[in-house]
Amino acid sequence: MLEIKDLVTEFASVRALSGVSFTAATGKITTVIGANGAGKSTLLRTISGLERCTQGAIIWEGLDVTKLSVEGIVRTGIAQVPEGHAVISQLSVEENIELGALFRKRKASADVAKSVKEVYELFPILRERNSQMAGALSGGERQMLAISRALVSRPKLLLLDEPSLGLAPLIAEQIINAINELCRSTGLTVLLVEQNANTALSVADHGVLLALGKVVAQMPASEMIADDSLRAAYLGY
Amino acid sequence: MTQFITAFFSGSAHGAIYALVSMGLVLVWRGAGVVNFAQMGQAMFTTYIASQLIMHKYSYWIAFVIALLAGAILGAIVDFGLMRPLSARKNSALLNSESMRTTIPVIASLGVLGILKALAGIIWAGEERGFPSPVSTNGIKIGTTTLAFTAFDLFVIGIVFITLLLTTAFFTRTGMGLAMRASALNPEVTRLSGIRINSVRTLSWAISGVASSLAGLLITPSTNLSPNTLDLLLIVGFTAAVIGGLTSLVGAVVGGFAIGYVISFVNVYSSPENVFLAILIFLMFMLFLRPQGIFGTKEVRRV
Repeated sequence: MLEIKDLVTEFASVRALSGVSFTAATGKITTVIGANGAGKSTLLRTISGLERCTQGAIIWEGLDVTKLSVEGIVRTGIAQVPEGHAVISQLSVEENIELGALFRKRKASADVAKSVKEVYELFPILRERNSQMAGALSGGERQMLAISRALVSRPKLLLLDEPSLGLAPLIAEQIINAINELCRSTGLTVLLVEQNANTALSVADHGVLLALGKVVAQMPASEMIADDSLRAAYLGY
Repeated sequence: MTQFITAFFSGSAHGAIYALVSMGLVLVWRGAGVVNFAQMGQAMFTTYIASQLIMHKYSYWIAFVIALLAGAILGAIVDFGLMRPLSARKNSALLNSESMRTTIPVIASLGVLGILKALAGIIWAGEERGFPSPVSTNGIKIGTTTLAFTAFDLFVIGIVFITLLLTTAFFTRTGMGLAMRASALNPEVTRLSGIRINSVRTLSWAISGVASSLAGLLITPSTNLSPNTLDLLLIVGFTAAVIGGLTSLVGAVVGGFAIGYVISFVNVYSSPENVFLAILIFLMFMLFLRPQGIFGTKEVRRV
């Protein structure tokens, strides 16, 4: 279980998160939705250690990870897929995947090979393109690669920052479905940040609605998707 | 024709040294985003260490290996003791602006250069001394003609190519090499992959330290050793690195040899006074032809 307790993250004078609290259950998909600027990306970046919170705590499976380094957090089983299909375009597809497993290669080389095989099975197109530069891939393929890089670290918690951003609806759906299947079949805990609320809520178990750095509602995803007043007030449609 | 051959040989020998200097610069630039002006200071200092050992009757090769190790340690110390604390001070408003973040490490490296020169002055009294070469520095004889090319020149060129091969293999074949390339290209994704980029960066400085130390050991037999003798070498090496594209090791080597030939041909066919003008013209010409350098890649942004 991931517990976010009263989290505050500030940039100079701006409070991007002001007292965010919620929990994400193990083996479930929790989605954080909200308009642009609600603090969704900041939330994920604070959990993975890229931003530092000024108050509050992040507890992962009973372990306080609030003060750990980015690299240390990855080693506790938390992997982030950053916004914008973040792959390293000047490295090949194969190298991008290898990078995600590098830190555990010496201790668990057999399992690394296995996890690489698994991501190629999940996204077969990446195997076909494994010697190409990541920069030559399409947007959807880059997102698949970014997810694969995170998955080969064998995370127990996967943080996804707007995986559908900038993708054609069909591809976005394909990627979200792949994540859904992965969660159901392997018991992976997923924290999914999305602007596209409908897609996210349709696969998620739990929904958290963020507005201006605060949690304004949290409930089972099936209820949130049906709540027209919430949608009208915070998502504007 | 003899003149041409002389210029070619001397260009090759000097170019090889410039290539080493340039590789050292490229390694730190790629690994840490810093142009390291202290590099020749590090080279000078470690060469003094080697010279000291040789004076105390140690063999050349023991001194050679210890100087390379000292180069690695010195490089690591500069990063660990200075560059890392500097980049960790994110709260300072001065350090937070993008332009200062890139400028301050460069200024700090100039500080290191000053310190190393002062230390060398204090410890070794700044005296100019010779430095031996492990192989003959007499021209190779073919029949009755003596070439303007020595066994030592051959040795230097050999070392440069071995260094290039080893570093290239390290970067492309090993996990640590991949981690180094990745952290230079995209630190954030690399950290999110669980790689400790601070350690990777320190390693870049250490490897670059070895390359600079090597350059110092190989140039001093022909220039003598003093705290200031290697200063010009940095300018030439930096020009070579820029011509090669600043991010490519092969580019650094090609740039090094190109500059070597420019210098020696101008020396032979024109006069030594015109050397710097020629370097400048060559640099401008190359930047005009290929602004990103011979082996540099154009920044392509995808949205």
